[in-house]
Amino acid sequence: MKNIKLIFAGVLFTLSASFIGILLSGRVQLGSLGRAPAEEGGPLFPLREPGLAIQGRQVYISLGCVACHTQQVRPASQGSDIAKGYGPRHSVARDYVLQSSVLLGSQRIGPDLANYGARVSSENEIHAHLRSPKAGSAMPSYDFLYTTGKDGAKVPTEKATALVAYLKSLKIDYSSPEAKLNQ
Amino acid sequence: MSQDSYRPSFNISRVDASVAQPVRLFFASAFLWLMLASILSVITAIQLKDVSFLGGCSLTTYGRLKALEGNLFAYGWVTNALFGLNLWLMSSLTRFEFKNAWLANVGGVVWNLTLTYGAIQIIMGNMNGLSLLEMPKEVAVASFVGFLFAALWPVVAFSRRPTGHVYVSQWYILGSTFVFPIIFALTQLLVLWCPAQGVLQALVHSWFHQNFYLLWFASSAIAAVYYFIPKESGRTVSAYYLSSVGFWTFFLVASWTSPATLLGSPLPLWVQSAGVVAAILMLIPLVILAINFLGTLSWNRGISQSWNNTTLRFVLVAIFALILWGALFATFSTRGLNAVIRFTSFNTGLEHLLTYSFVSFVIFGATYFILPKVTGISWLSSKLVHLHFWSCAIGTVSLLIITLLGGWQQGSGLRADWPSVIFPSVLLLIGHIAFGINAFGMLTAKLSSGHESTHA
Repeated sequence: MKNIKLIFAGVLFTLSASFIGILLSGRVQLGSLGRAPAEEGGPLFPLREPGLAIQGRQVYISLGCVACHTQQVRPASQGSDIAKGYGPRHSVARDYVLQSSVLLGSQRIGPDLANYGARVSSENEIHAHLRSPKAGSAMPSYDFLYTTGKDGAKVPTEKATALVAYLKSLKIDYSSPEAKLNQ
Repeated sequence: MSQDSYRPSFNISRVDASVAQPVRLFFASAFLWLMLASILSVITAIQLKDVSFLGGCSLTTYGRLKALEGNLFAYGWVTNALFGLNLWLMSSLTRFEFKNAWLANVGGVVWNLTLTYGAIQIIMGNMNGLSLLEMPKEVAVASFVGFLFAALWPVVAFSRRPTGHVYVSQWYILGSTFVFPIIFALTQLLVLWCPAQGVLQALVHSWFHQNFYLLWFASSAIAAVYYFIPKESGRTVSAYYLSSVGFWTFFLVASWTSPATLLGSPLPLWVQSAGVVAAILMLIPLVILAINFLGTLSWNRGISQSWNNTTLRFVLVAIFALILWGALFATFSTRGLNAVIRFTSFNTGLEHLLTYSFVSFVIFGATYFILPKVTGISWLSSKLVHLHFWSCAIGTVSLLIITLLGGWQQGSGLRADWPSVIFPSVLLLIGHIAFGINAFGMLTAKLSSGHESTHA
């Protein structure tokens, strides 16, 4: 092989093959995916994120939370995520159609957060965990997201409020055409 | 180790002199970024065990420092080093004398300045959530321009080469040089500028990740191995006729392996299956590479002789790392086993095996060969070379054992915590400091000596 044009054409072909075979074909299948009702005539899922949660997603990204947390529950046949209580069903592509930046993650130094909003009882519980995680937790304190009020109580900053709103919005506790809750 | 590496000062050939300046700039930048990445690696390893370490401040969260470490390692250390390595290799193989290699300096400066800006942005929290794409999207435009100026010179040398013969190394250098700008531009476009919908972003990201690691990092490193084994062992490549099959199957299959890193994700099953098939097919080019490399080295007790040569000693470790990576990647891409190790430290180990144990070790070996040729000065201390090799070899092996075994235990439910990598990270840092002292000693000695002495 002495011809640079041949090498360039060959390399371009190999890249194009995977680009078309994986990415464009995936786009054909998933590109038009939209929200769907859990049952006929019901509300469409996933729900639209509140504005505060969208801001919170940026805080989540900027703090680098994705380095330790995933947001995907695997099917029962491909892992023990459901058995561990990470979610009532596995995640499907439809769950992410409204997300401007998808944060599937690749490491679980901490637990999966795909259904975290449904696992916690209230926003106060999340605030408490962020300020002082339980002993033995792999998560550091995010106390710097809080200020001290006049009465000495901790007051969440705007970032903390947005982050908690985002974490509370993370739910897959609804049925999807591809994954029903009772399956 | 061979005393050949520690010979006294000597003249630089005209071909080497024509690329010496940019090669020195790329290597010097790479060594600096490696130091920073190694320090960050120790810090993040400590943070995993002591969660309060450098806590209390948004600038030093584990997530930001880890993202910074990954970017400095990939774009600072490896990519800068590959700019220099590819440029030197191609000019050496083609015997092409550059007249305007200073343009590569411009590319190097642009690349490193944009990386510095991007690193500051990551620390400030102005980052994206996908690994190796964390830097703000405006950085990508400048990086792209920097890359074109810094990395396309091997193509120029090949097009205008005075000699007719073409070596296997040149295929891999050209392939990797063509691939990087294409995957970088497409990914930036489809993830950051005009984001694809939903999980397609994750698919594009994994496509970039695999191509970046295999077709930019590994392909460039393979080019260097194809050069150094015959050069330093004095033998021709064994089963040479297989090399073109290896090259094309490597490029054809590697690009399809990305979905194998997303098993169990919300992507369609057929996409994931395509990745699994590709991961297993990767064994074909890797077996060919093993036959070419080990077949050449093992002839007439060559492996034991290689151990006495500094460059080949690093390259030998790298070859075994590549083979081990291929075997583990194929095996653990099967669904049953992947379900166990997914999201665990096992994947950290696999990534380390490819990007450090293979690619970085090849770069280390190449540096010991190239730096004297572009500075005209011998390595300052053989003890530091020994310290570098053994510290990094023990560090990388212990890190692999800890992360691979630890990851398997995590997936099997035998342990809940993330395995500690403080010990190997410190060992690697020590090795890099030894390497840095030696390398910067040569580079600064070159600066103080001033002139470029050359001979034909």
